Amino acid sequence: MEKSYTEKIQIHKANKLAGLHPATKFLVVILYSVCTFVLSSIKLTKIGLPLAIIPWFLVVLVLCAVSGAMKKCIKALKAVAFIALVIFLVQTFIVPGGEVLVRFGFIRICEKGLKTAISLSFLILNIAGIFVWFFQTTENKEIARALEESGLNYKATYVFISSLQMINVLSGNSKTIMNAQRARGVETEGNMLVRAKAFFPTLVPLVLGALIGSEERVLTLEARGFSMEGKKTHLFNLEKSGAEGTMKITAILVTVLIVIGRAALWIL
Amino acid sequence: MDIVMECKDVTYSYPLTKKPAIKNLNLKLERGKFYGVIGENGSGKTTLCALLRGFAPSFYKGELQGEVLLEGKNINEYGGEIAAKIGFVFQNPFTQISGIKDTVFEEVSYGLENFGVPAEKIEKRVIDVMKMTNIETLAEKSPFELSGGQMQRVALASVIVLEPDILIIDEPTSQLDPEGTESVFSIIETLKEKKKTIILVEHKIDLIAEYADEVLVFKEGTMIAFRRKQEILSDLSFLEQGVTLPQVAILGRKLQERGLGLSAIPVTEKQAVEVIAEALQERNK
Repeated sequence: MEKSYTEKIQIHKANKLAGLHPATKFLVVILYSVCTFVLSSIKLTKIGLPLAIIPWFLVVLVLCAVSGAMKKCIKALKAVAFIALVIFLVQTFIVPGGEVLVRFGFIRICEKGLKTAISLSFLILNIAGIFVWFFQTTENKEIARALEESGLNYKATYVFISSLQMINVLSGNSKTIMNAQRARGVETEGNMLVRAKAFFPTLVPLVLGALIGSEERVLTLEARGFSMEGKKTHLFNLEKSGAEGTMKITAILVTVLIVIGRAALWIL
Repeated sequence: MDIVMECKDVTYSYPLTKKPAIKNLNLKLERGKFYGVIGENGSGKTTLCALLRGFAPSFYKGELQGEVLLEGKNINEYGGEIAAKIGFVFQNPFTQISGIKDTVFEEVSYGLENFGVPAEKIEKRVIDVMKMTNIETLAEKSPFELSGGQMQRVALASVIVLEPDILIIDEPTSQLDPEGTESVFSIIETLKEKKKTIILVEHKIDLIAEYADEVLVFKEGTMIAFRRKQEILSDLSFLEQGVTLPQVAILGRKLQERGLGLSAIPVTEKQAVEVIAEALQERNK
């Protein structure tokens, strides 16, 4: 028998980790971030480098792989890694202070620079990485439903989700505007300066268009009973993968162990 | 006369403007009738729609004198529940999607979810409306990937599914191709058959001539005429007021001036064929 439309819009995930309830995933994200901060405060080696957060990133990779979303995650992780690398290089070579560790002619790496570089770049890599896992394994409507379940106001939920959806719409609109500007002789391709010059004539119609569109969208929502008081129905319902309890316990346990370990190091 | 909506001495100005967009409007709309609203750009047609739906002044702000009544009660007293009574479709199909739904089915269901209709009833109502608006094949598509005509049909379906008694439709075909226009009007025709009260703003005068019962003519914020469509669309003096009249009405007048005795000035193609054939038969007798 053919499925009904309501059945078709439900999300069934075979993978237990990817299919976790968004609230559980979010708890993992929060605890992982806390652990990252705690680990970044552990100083290793003679000069006190925060090396513990480097292998910690493997947890993100493992989560992505076990969730079966490695392919999807890798693209976003590459972008995050690029930003982290730039920050790492800038901090390493520019921040002065402490002992000079390496010197190649005019380039030198100072103790403080290396510490900040590792700390900052891996903090970004770890925290952005865990969010990549969260967003690549959770669909927008799952997040929306979870937010409403958590008691968040439906208006706030709408703003959050429509902002996520709008990224695609605005990128499509910007391409259309870009083509229109190109047709009028504005150069949009070339070096950074040429691209920067083309950016502003694109930005103004994009932002204005979005603002004008948002007015009609508000009225559209009103026409669909957005402000209607009373209980709303939800055709889409969240499912639990069954591994929520295990995942929560594991995440809390790991966090407690890391915090205790850190405290022990501090006391000793 | 079953009056469903009424404007009593309504004058409305948008914020930061001195000139009213609508002046001294007195209007009574009957239940189950189809009203066509015509006039030049900036004559107040869209403002009339916003007033009748209650968007002005509650959303647009501005200054309102007089009152707009829905079933005898001031329109501002209804709050969010007004969505169940009055459906509203805009001219731009691309801004009429909620922006948070992944499929056309979910998009059309959205209003019913807001109304708290039980889930088991929603699917049937949505399927019926999707069939009526001919979008069932698009049910699993993303609303963001539709063409203008398809989006406008989805917008209409999303409003019709709420089963409002009154529908305000503001230039629904202004951004559509002839095929899209035809599909939208076939839906409007079905709504007319269901005895819905329809207020339609439309520049395509032949479509007004085809479907409307009565016509409202606006000029510079004032309603200059409100009569049966036959009387207004066959009156060439409205041409001087900047109103476009059906080509067949102009042809009818010219034929009359040339001595062909037409029994009436036609306003639709069908009427034109009938009255001209009749006049020619009379002449050949």
